[in-house]
Amino acid sequence: MTDNQNAAATCLDETQFDVMVIGAGIAGAESALKLGDMGYKVLLVEKEPSIGGKMILLSKVFPTLDCAACITTPKVSETARHPNITIHTLTEVDTIQRNADRHFSVQLTKKPRYVVEKDCTGCQECENVCPVITKDQFQFDLTARKAVYIPFNIANPRIALIDIENCMLCGACEKACPSNCIDFTQKEQQLQITAKSVIVATGFKLFDPISIERYGYGRYKNVITSMQMERELAPTRPYNNVLRPSDGKIPDKIAYVFCTGSRDHTVGNPICSQVCCMYSTKQAQLLMGALPMADISLYYINIRAFGKGYNEFYLQAKDMGANYVKGKIGKITEKENGNLILRFEDILTGKVTEKEHDMVVLSVGLLANPAITQVFKGEKLELDPINYIQQPNMLQSPAQTSLEGVFVAGTATGPMDIPDTIMSAGAAATETSSYLKRLS
Amino acid sequence: MEKKEKTIDIIKQERKVSPQVLEDRKTYSRNRKAIMEVLKAGPKSIPQVAAETQLSLPDTTYFMMALFKFGDVQVNSLDDMDEYYFYELKKK
Ligand SMILES: Cc1cc2nc3c(=O)[nH]c(=O)nc-3n(C[C@H](O)[C@H](O)[C@H](O)COP(=O)(O)OP(=O)(O)OC[C@H]3O[C@@H](n4cnc5c(N)ncnc54)[C@H](O)[C@@H]3O)c2cc1C
Ligand code: SF4
Ligand code: SF4
Repeated sequence: MTDNQNAAATCLDETQFDVMVIGAGIAGAESALKLGDMGYKVLLVEKEPSIGGKMILLSKVFPTLDCAACITTPKVSETARHPNITIHTLTEVDTIQRNADRHFSVQLTKKPRYVVEKDCTGCQECENVCPVITKDQFQFDLTARKAVYIPFNIANPRIALIDIENCMLCGACEKACPSNCIDFTQKEQQLQITAKSVIVATGFKLFDPISIERYGYGRYKNVITSMQMERELAPTRPYNNVLRPSDGKIPDKIAYVFCTGSRDHTVGNPICSQVCCMYSTKQAQLLMGALPMADISLYYINIRAFGKGYNEFYLQAKDMGANYVKGKIGKITEKENGNLILRFEDILTGKVTEKEHDMVVLSVGLLANPAITQVFKGEKLELDPINYIQQPNMLQSPAQTSLEGVFVAGTATGPMDIPDTIMSAGAAATETSSYLKRLS
Repeated sequence: MEKKEKTIDIIKQERKVSPQVLEDRKTYSRNRKAIMEVLKAGPKSIPQVAAETQLSLPDTTYFMMALFKFGDVQVNSLDDMDEYYFYELKKK
């Protein structure tokens, strides 16, 4: 069973594909769309219950301040409706093995949703009656969700799934579902397919700041990550406004700590994450709009605003009143009222200073997600020294990898913003198409 | 649509529910009841609800926001200092 019925109807043979794209973030969706439009049969494999990756969870995007959902949703639904694209969500690749005919044999595991995909209308009756809550991973733990849930309002597919680990097996959802589509007999499925080529679009991992103990993340409720702030600012936000998780107060003195987990040998990530300066600047602008009385201070080492319109975007934030402080944060401590004291070295004066804020946002970096290399059997998908997929011919053929017929798109190659991700995905589609032409 | 057999009875024979899940369900049910009871008297802010329920401030925030998401409570107004919202029971 596939997750998009149009494709299921037109792709009669659901086991043979021209391309398998691994990861349905914006890079994977874009590559799949381009190749689907060229007439290739594409399989898009996504481990999460819905497609769109991190981008669909963002608030707005720099430097245009377009609503992220408004850009992502049409692309994601075009992908889902495309007659040449078959999507498997909740699915991971176990093995990829090259055959004598140079095609790849692929073994996939699809986890059970415990909901019959084609029958679920997304009515949420099941959610209403479910008595169990757990942390909502799509709101980065800021609020809760039920054990049976639709990942978020604009999820695609917008259908329910059951988190069986947190289900108390009360059966209320099955009783309440008007479509009779809850099915606890579903089992994990092993799928075997072949593909003539592969695109790796497995994206990035977010740096977990819990490892930088001096920032207090995980201990101090009002120290949050930039991804959590993205959610607080998004239309599908966890709260009714931007609020402190410690007590629901509207913050009015917010600090950003740039380069959290980037350009830092001590955490094993020596490179710049490319997007943190800009997304923090974006969030500062959005916060000044949402909370007109709030002071926003941004503690940075250097500002990296290299893209088209980026420096102007940064200057605009300054003009709006964002307070950029060239300072290195030593330590954050918490006061009884939940406020936070930032101790930092003012790089311009060399003085160590302390300042009080009522909320701190850690501008967390992007990390490589190299696990996919393990699935290639009998040959090795090489990584670069930072653990991103190696690009042996970066200047002439940026999507090429160390393996013939295997291409790479988006942040699987390294940190980058959305415009570069889209371009990288376009390059991957073009290179894959010319490979397929040579193959036939 | 044809009605299937209850599949919950089948999975119940194969799986055990973890004690943690049962404990968490009790906590949610208890806290939900406590918060909703306090809000019966009228709109309250998170610190006011925390004081009356004896729940910690972060727990009150978490559960109040969960009730907000699930449609049990709604926003009433903002306090005079523009700091805290008052929440009230949603009329159903
Ligand atoms: C806080 C924050 C704010 C940002 N704001 C902006 C902004 O305003 N403007 C901008 O231009 N950029 C912004 N970015 C950067 C932007 O998020 C990325 O450029 C973009 O999301 C990269 O897309 P991707 O598809 O390469 O990766 P991802 O979004 O990471 O997608 C990868 C997908 O692959 C799936 N996957 C991973 N492994 C597997 C596997 N083994 N099998 C199957 N599926 C798998 C994942 O579940 C995911 O769906 C921001 C980033 C962050 C962290
Ligand atoms: S599983 Fe049933 S009750 Fe739940 S959203 Fe789907 S159709 Fe509605
Ligand atoms: S069976 Fe599980 S998912 Fe369904 S209502 Fe009960 S606890 Fe929730």
